[in-house]
Amino acid sequence: MTHLTDHELADALDRALDPSRQAHLDKCESCRRQLAELEATLNTVSSVEVPEPSPLYWQQLAARVRTAIDAEPTVAASWREWLRWPVLAPVAALVLTVMALGVALPRERTVVSEVAVAEPVEPSVDDRFAIVADLVGDLDWETAVSAGLTVAPGTADQAILELSAIEQQELRRLLHTELTRVKS
Amino acid sequence: MTHESAVRNAWAPVASPGWTVTVARPTDAGQSAVFDGHDDSALVAAAVAGQRDAFDAIVERHRRTVYQVCYRFANNHEDASDLSQEAFVRAWRGLHSFKGQSALSTWLYRIAVNVCLNRVSAKLPAVDSIEPGDQFEDTRTEGAQATLLREERAAAVRRAIAALPKKQRATLILRAYHELPHQQIADILGSSVGATKANFFHALANLKKLLGNKP
Repeated sequence: MTHLTDHELADALDRALDPSRQAHLDKCESCRRQLAELEATLNTVSSVEVPEPSPLYWQQLAARVRTAIDAEPTVAASWREWLRWPVLAPVAALVLTVMALGVALPRERTVVSEVAVAEPVEPSVDDRFAIVADLVGDLDWETAVSAGLTVAPGTADQAILELSAIEQQELRRLLHTELTRVKS
Repeated sequence: MTHESAVRNAWAPVASPGWTVTVARPTDAGQSAVFDGHDDSALVAAAVAGQRDAFDAIVERHRRTVYQVCYRFANNHEDASDLSQEAFVRAWRGLHSFKGQSALSTWLYRIAVNVCLNRVSAKLPAVDSIEPGDQFEDTRTEGAQATLLREERAAAVRRAIAALPKKQRATLILRAYHELPHQQIADILGSSVGATKANFFHALANLKKLLGNKP
């Protein structure tokens, strides 16, 4: 009987090998050795994990995505969204008005400057957080103090700053553990 | 347990007596929480109808998966972060064309993999350097030598994966790390199940050669 094919070895890795071929595998030392080597490689590969980013990173990523989408030149909605009477009626009225003016007014070459009016947009908490995170990302404590930063006693901020490097690392680990537990 | 109480509990072991730890949730945080009970198709419909919070909820729900796929290709946090952002922006652009023929997660996987395959070159990846305190793993019981050895082995595996042909690399990442069935991987990569299985087999065989007897 022929040895297992590539596909069958992939199935065997998933414990999904056809029973008739399983009989061959049980008897064939060459196929068993090949499967064992593939399994060993897979185990080695699978043991490499993605380092977990800071719990605060996820908010930062969400804020970055939101900011990037806000900067998109077009709205990602379907063009059919515009085919609704609440939208079409004023647009049609505007078109008719422009056409009427075009007929009624004398033809003169005028230059109309376009002025874009940007309304102030209140940044969301995530946006503000991203900004703050970007600002303080590379700031060390001494620089912050020399710049006049003070922290009120009794706040969590002060507590963090008073921790040693090892304590801060332990705090990060504990926070991460707790937040992961909540998420799960 | 709420996030607030979780954070408060996390503080407890390191806070000195007399410290006051105040944990406050930002007033407008978690806007997407209103979509907590919605399934993905409802979120897509709401986002297409113009509800930005619905897309925020999609990002919130799938960001970890997308980031992890991107990290597997990029092998460093900074690039993985950029790739994740690009994947979600592309998803936003194409959301109106998503017809629900596959799961939203499959669609997002496809976008993320395509972004990664287009952006990540075949050159050796810029693997994150190991700085003390960068990671949250508890290494107290593990000797420094063992940690170093483990990281070296991980770096070797990452380099070997980066050297694989694109389809093999994508198949391996989706199968070995995300444990997706071959059918879903085939849908994501636009190939057949047979091709996916063959790619998976060849990826492992090539990795075995590249890693030699190191494993």
